[in-house]
Amino acid sequence: MTQDELYSKLAAELPHLEKAQTQVKDYLTMRLPSADRLLETVRALKERLGFDYLEMVSATDWLGPVKPEGYIRNPNPIVFMAEGATPQSIPTATPNFPYRPMIELVWMLANIPEKIRLVLKLEVPREDAAVPSLCGLFKAADWQEREIYDLMGVAFTGHPNLTKILTPEFLQGHPLRKDYVHVKDRFDE
Amino acid sequence: MNKGAMAPDQEQDTPLKSDSMFINLGPQHPSTHGVLRVGLTIDGEMITKAVPDVGYLHRGTSKLAEVRGYHHCVVLTDRWDYVSAMPNNLVFCLAAERLMGLNVPPRGDVLRVLMCELNRIASHLLFFGTYGIDIGAFTPFLYAFREREMILDLFEMVSGARLTYNYIRLGGVMVDVTDEWVAKCREFIEYFKPRLDEYDTLLTYNPIFMARTEKVGLIPPQTAVNWGLSGPNLRGSGVNYDVRKADPYCGYEQYDFEIPLGKTGSCWDRYFCRVSEMRQSVRIVLQALDKLAPGPVMAPGVAKVPKPQPGEAYAHVEGARGDLGIFLVSDGQASPYRMHVKAPSFMNLAILQELLVGNKVSDVIAILGSTDIVLGEVDR
Repeated sequence: MTQDELYSKLAAELPHLEKAQTQVKDYLTMRLPSADRLLETVRALKERLGFDYLEMVSATDWLGPVKPEGYIRNPNPIVFMAEGATPQSIPTATPNFPYRPMIELVWMLANIPEKIRLVLKLEVPREDAAVPSLCGLFKAADWQEREIYDLMGVAFTGHPNLTKILTPEFLQGHPLRKDYVHVKDRFDE
Repeated sequence: MNKGAMAPDQEQDTPLKSDSMFINLGPQHPSTHGVLRVGLTIDGEMITKAVPDVGYLHRGTSKLAEVRGYHHCVVLTDRWDYVSAMPNNLVFCLAAERLMGLNVPPRGDVLRVLMCELNRIASHLLFFGTYGIDIGAFTPFLYAFREREMILDLFEMVSGARLTYNYIRLGGVMVDVTDEWVAKCREFIEYFKPRLDEYDTLLTYNPIFMARTEKVGLIPPQTAVNWGLSGPNLRGSGVNYDVRKADPYCGYEQYDFEIPLGKTGSCWDRYFCRVSEMRQSVRIVLQALDKLAPGPVMAPGVAKVPKPQPGEAYAHVEGARGDLGIFLVSDGQASPYRMHVKAPSFMNLAILQELLVGNKVSDVIAILGSTDIVLGEVDR
């Protein structure tokens, strides 16, 4: 199946999906209108269109450039730089870039026999970000959703065991959020 | 590490039945291949619950990437799967090149394929050796490491490092190989081919080894797909999915090779897939050496500080452990705005919570070893 065939099939079967503005390069990217329709859409994709392999669950925080306070040490690529000097690699905001207080979730589904992949995107507000869990459909969602919950702070409602997975239990906040600030803990000097 | 309601530590607080027991496997245990802890609840010899606990090796590479330039990020990638670092370098470069619209010259592509396949052999050799030890056969380890060291010598010749190469760079590879290197590589392949038959007599068809692994840890194909397994773990269950064929990169469609598949999804099938993959990698290495035509190895005009246009890209490769993917977002700055790593070991480890239940304690190591995880990649 080619991407164009998949697109026309999606337009017929799941008309509420629209082409996302920013396409993930080389893969067809569709945007979901709201979180309520996620489960029925993914179930239809799995059962009617054969997308039975959940390849990736990811999320992007669109708040703006990352803060240096989120790092334990100043991220400084020049080892011999004087102490207290401003790190040179802290990114600045790109002018006219649509930063917004939203978290964009990204799912990548694959149809193994047809050798085709589909990216689904959904934007949710940063405050109390929550989306339905896909654990009931894909076991592969279990740990991937826990990772996103741990690092990005998105609650997956309906997940059987939504606990931290990678960061230690004393770590406060969600490190991949752009406004994350590192709180000194017992392992910092 | 107590991580909330379901953490293995708290198992001890629940009222236990008199005949069930909680044991910790790891985090310091030679058969966990790194710092992994599995909280096992056992009833006599049977496992009733298994809770893998990961995160001991979490270094936050996704967060670190957000303040580093694209060239710096390649260095971070080496540290995920440190026993096969070439595919890690490659997948980041592929994603970044898609963002920047860079095209790699043909010789660069051939060298990338060559290094990745050599690294796959080295990684599978490590699996072959350590899996033998897990089961109780010490000798294969010595043979496997003898051959693996030769591959690491080849890598050292070309990149200066044994494990963390940083050899594949944005736009191509770091440096061209010399004629001496090509001769040495051919010499190694000639030496290595008959060794594969030696391994089969040593371990693959050894009756004790087969008895320990053949009917243990069965993963049906639907279960494997549902849990998102990839690599030899998925193919051991008979699912024909290999990124090199399904979504070719670096010109893999021009190479002639087969995808070894297992039948039942047992530990032995997963083992056999890896051993057979080494034979296929040898074929690819020979074809790649024949393809090496003179030419540049690096695309011209790669920026010192690349600032790709805002956009999103996903690239994935068939690493030694499975489908390794990178999701890269750029907002036009010199650092990636977001980097997400889809690590195959992470997915392959998650299935243990279902797979171990109902097995005997003595089979835990056989099953854990057969999934061939690297904890550096699980925790990133």
